[in-house]
Amino acid sequence: MTIAAAGISLLPGLTVIGIVLGGIYALAAIGLVLIYRVSGVLNFAHGAVAMFSTFIAYQVSVQSGLPGWIGLLAAIAAGIAMGFVIERFTMRPLTGKPVLTKVVITIGWLIVLQAAAALIWKANAYHRAVKLVSKSGFRLTGTSVVVGYDQLTTVLVALGLALATAAVLKYTTLGASMRAVADDPEAARLWGISVNRVTAASWMVGSGMAAIAGVLITPLINFDTFSLTLVVIDAFVAALIGRLTSLPFAVLGAFILGLVQTYPTAFFNNSGMHEVATFALLLVALAVLFRPGARKLRVA
Amino acid sequence: MTSDLRLVRWTAVGVGVALGVLIPALLSDFLRTLAADAAIAGLIVLSLVVLTGLVGQISFCQYSFAAIGAFTVGSLVAGHHWDFWLALVVGVVFAAVVGVLVGFVALRLSGLFLAILTIGVALFFDRFVLAAGNWNSFSGGLSSWRPGRPSFFGIGLHGEYAFYLFAFGVLLAACLLVWNLRTGKTGRVLRAVRESEVAASTVGLNLTAWKLTAFGISAALAGLAGALAAVRVGSVSPGSYDFLHSISIAAIAIVAGAGSIASAAAGGIFLIFGREALIDWTSLSTQWFDLIIGAGLIFQLVYAPDGAVVDIERRVMRRLRPPKHLPREAEQRAPDKVPAAVG
Repeated sequence: MTIAAAGISLLPGLTVIGIVLGGIYALAAIGLVLIYRVSGVLNFAHGAVAMFSTFIAYQVSVQSGLPGWIGLLAAIAAGIAMGFVIERFTMRPLTGKPVLTKVVITIGWLIVLQAAAALIWKANAYHRAVKLVSKSGFRLTGTSVVVGYDQLTTVLVALGLALATAAVLKYTTLGASMRAVADDPEAARLWGISVNRVTAASWMVGSGMAAIAGVLITPLINFDTFSLTLVVIDAFVAALIGRLTSLPFAVLGAFILGLVQTYPTAFFNNSGMHEVATFALLLVALAVLFRPGARKLRVA
Repeated sequence: MTSDLRLVRWTAVGVGVALGVLIPALLSDFLRTLAADAAIAGLIVLSLVVLTGLVGQISFCQYSFAAIGAFTVGSLVAGHHWDFWLALVVGVVFAAVVGVLVGFVALRLSGLFLAILTIGVALFFDRFVLAAGNWNSFSGGLSSWRPGRPSFFGIGLHGEYAFYLFAFGVLLAACLLVWNLRTGKTGRVLRAVRESEVAASTVGLNLTAWKLTAFGISAALAGLAGALAAVRVGSVSPGSYDFLHSISIAAIAIVAGAGSIASAAAGGIFLIFGREALIDWTSLSTQWFDLIIGAGLIFQLVYAPDGAVVDIERRVMRRLRPPKHLPREAEQRAPDKVPAAVG
């Protein structure tokens, strides 16, 4: 009983942690969903792109001592460049080939970026995170829970980017082209849309978002070549909850995942519950949302 | 012509086996341990050949299955003083059971989603099953298991050459099994399943049972490799069975061509000796090797999607066969099954 009672008293604090984790996953999931919607390719290298971009920011801001926002810009530029290279040189030549081949290529990129980062910045060394926002925070009224400004920023940026992406998709010409290409590349081409350009744009924007996600996440998780690369699996679970196509549901999924990962720690004295929760949610998402006969995906 | 072809093939196999036995006899003990590692890695590539080449499924968690074999042997032999052979059987069966369980979830999925599922499984093993504190009687907690080398019908496998021959023999036996699967009735069934699940089910094939069988066999082979690795190294620790190993071996299997049994030998040799040669000759760190594997995977998929070994084999075959018996493209295409859910 005492354990349960102690657990319940922890809940407000855990809710904050869960929501912050959810914000992290949402940031990572948005770019993933954008790329998947337009090109039909699930980018396994998404986490690796985020990781590599973040190390660029680390190089600029921590190693060379420039201000944090310049590091962030450098990271975004690096992310966009990687998105362009991946799409232009390894996706576009395979137009019309099975999607799975392209997906396996993104796994090749994961290996390459991971190994390259480990070579340049050493896999097991300690890296100081790029500081954009102060770690100090404010106390939530009525509780003993302290929310850090960096945590708050992560959640707000995640929600802001999700809204911005949704708005771009809905209201701009580029967004309309992206949706057209997602629905039917052939028909889009007939309407005079440059399918290649739109696809490249989605990879570049999506990878740029991965860079933002990486830089914002690093103060909150281990900053090494491996942890950040593997955030992609959490982003997958979030994106799967959105059926890989819906941004609002992917963001919702991200927050659900964050909370589901965090709450069990109140009741189980075992760090592994975090992984059990992720895996269980992955299985449920795959089994329920992607079961045979489930509503068809809209993306080719 | 067909008999010529068979002759060439069997001569190649015979020469390969003879070289496999003779060359390590001339090498130093250190190179013999590497040769044994190559045979073990070859087994894992072979386990992917079963899955990808025969039924068109993909897996990024073969090292998790290997870990089941390795840690079962480690915990039973080192922790409970079991006989190695008994522990080996338990480990292989355990791996097969988990493989069938993964296959059971995979029945509903293909392509993309199977890739996600298997990566999920690999990370679940990395971070939960094998992580210290969760299941210490299996994972060994913070210390690693140290199982000793067994003896084989009274012959001790302590010598490096003896152990290599044993591992090589196991690889050959496994290749024979997979070759039987491919050419026999089972092979025809599995290929039918790979080419078109709908067509296969309309002629009365039990898709569920065959897919589960393929997953079971594949996991069992990987588990066997893990059990051998456990006694080869004499120490079992989680770092040797993590997610990065699984994706590297999948990359190697794809680069070599998952449609061919010969890929197993080529893949195993490349993984172990390629890395060693790179470190020895150029004094570059081992990460360079991963970089090369990843770049090779990207390059190969963009420019030669069927795989290097399959490509060479096909060229040889084309020389030998009259033109109308050109190997059918569809037969060779391994990892390209279009995921139904995305198609």
